[in-house]
Amino acid sequence: MAAVSNAVRVPMGDSADVALAAAGDRQAFERLYRIHANRVFSICARMSGSRVMGEELTQDVFVRTWEKLPQFRGESAFSTWLHRLAVNVVLNARKTEGRRASRTEQSDVEDDRRDEMARAPLHIERMDLQDAISKLPEGARRIFVLHDVEGYKHEEIAGMMGITSGGSKAQLHRARLLLREALER
Amino acid sequence: MTNSNMTCEEFDAALPDYLEGTLDEPLRAAVQKHLSECVRCASLVRDLETIRKNAGALPDLIPSRDLWQGIEARIAAPVIPLAERPEVQRRFVPAWMGVAAAALIVSTAGITYVLTARSLQGAKEQVATLATQGSPIPSKSGSDTGAPQISTEQAPTPADGGGAGSRRPPTGSRMAASDAAAGQNRAGARLAVQQEQSDAVYGREIDMLQKIVTQRKTQLDSSTVAIIERNLQIIDAAIEQSKTALAKDPRSRLLSDQLTHALDKKVELLRTAAFLPAST
Repeated sequence: MAAVSNAVRVPMGDSADVALAAAGDRQAFERLYRIHANRVFSICARMSGSRVMGEELTQDVFVRTWEKLPQFRGESAFSTWLHRLAVNVVLNARKTEGRRASRTEQSDVEDDRRDEMARAPLHIERMDLQDAISKLPEGARRIFVLHDVEGYKHEEIAGMMGITSGGSKAQLHRARLLLREALER
Repeated sequence: MTNSNMTCEEFDAALPDYLEGTLDEPLRAAVQKHLSECVRCASLVRDLETIRKNAGALPDLIPSRDLWQGIEARIAAPVIPLAERPEVQRRFVPAWMGVAAAALIVSTAGITYVLTARSLQGAKEQVATLATQGSPIPSKSGSDTGAPQISTEQAPTPADGGGAGSRRPPTGSRMAASDAAAGQNRAGARLAVQQEQSDAVYGREIDMLQKIVTQRKTQLDSSTVAIIERNLQIIDAAIEQSKTALAKDPRSRLLSDQLTHALDKKVELLRTAAFLPAST
């Protein structure tokens, strides 16, 4: 089952501003920021599990973008390049590691579900889902966001995170099961 | 809960690949048969697919504040042009090179100060002796004493070739020595004013970068922060030494250049620190 892609959300046609910004035009770069800020913030906040951290990381992403923009060759869409850069910035940010490890790290919670009775389908509110995602263990959260929210493939995630494709699949499944459990409550 | 073909445990093992759509056909058929007979597993699949679908449709989040100002401050800060170096070098310069560069600044500043002070002392004694004797002041390049070469009193003429090196003050009188000294004082004052203006520009720049670096300290690796702070201390010491030497000899071009060089180093280090990615 293919992951749902968010590509349709990405605004296109900002190549002129990209070229201007790469040449040092700050106003053009601000326009790019205005267009892409929410998407980048969404990636940062969801992957880090914190809106506050997401804001800090978003600033890091755009500063890094400003630095790296002269190297952008246009081989992919700017938005694709930017989002990948955002993911890398989040993955390189280690400071929150271990901070949120306690809440949902109880392993093998899915074992308890084996004898569950059938019940009504999940009714998921967006806020509930967003909140539940933020409470996932870091590894599972990052992979869930990259795969199910951002639409990256397991092979891409494996490359970005330095893990195997199988590891990515296993973490994704674990994340989905944990979310289901959280949303049932 | 089981059926004759596939147990729930077997179904659970096959579920990730089933959801990925990567099961081979016989196994996929077995899973579907199990799903048609097992309410628990059918419910599980339905929920997981709902989660996946809803996750893909989540709307963008919106930051609680406009983040542009912080970004702009960080990308706008380094206005002093610095020497360009290849990207690879800039990103992977070992820490010891920074320390070595700063140590070099300290040592050269100190040596320059000592040499210049001795040279100046000699020149002053020579001027005093010559003035007392009523002798002409020998042609002496301003760079020897650290003083500027161009005197406002002595405009170049076609006869002397117009070169600063060929200019000579009037000879044979005490007035010559005092005119030259006055010219040097005025040029020295100009140099001091220029240094003051330059210091102000550097000061603003360094303050701005320092604020950014201070804000970013929590985002950086503690060992990186420690190296940055140590290097800043070394550079600050070099700046202080140059300033002290300049206070004693405000006309010294060499000391002025030395101070500028040390300030450049500080801006460059702060700029690098300001742009470091989080937790590198």
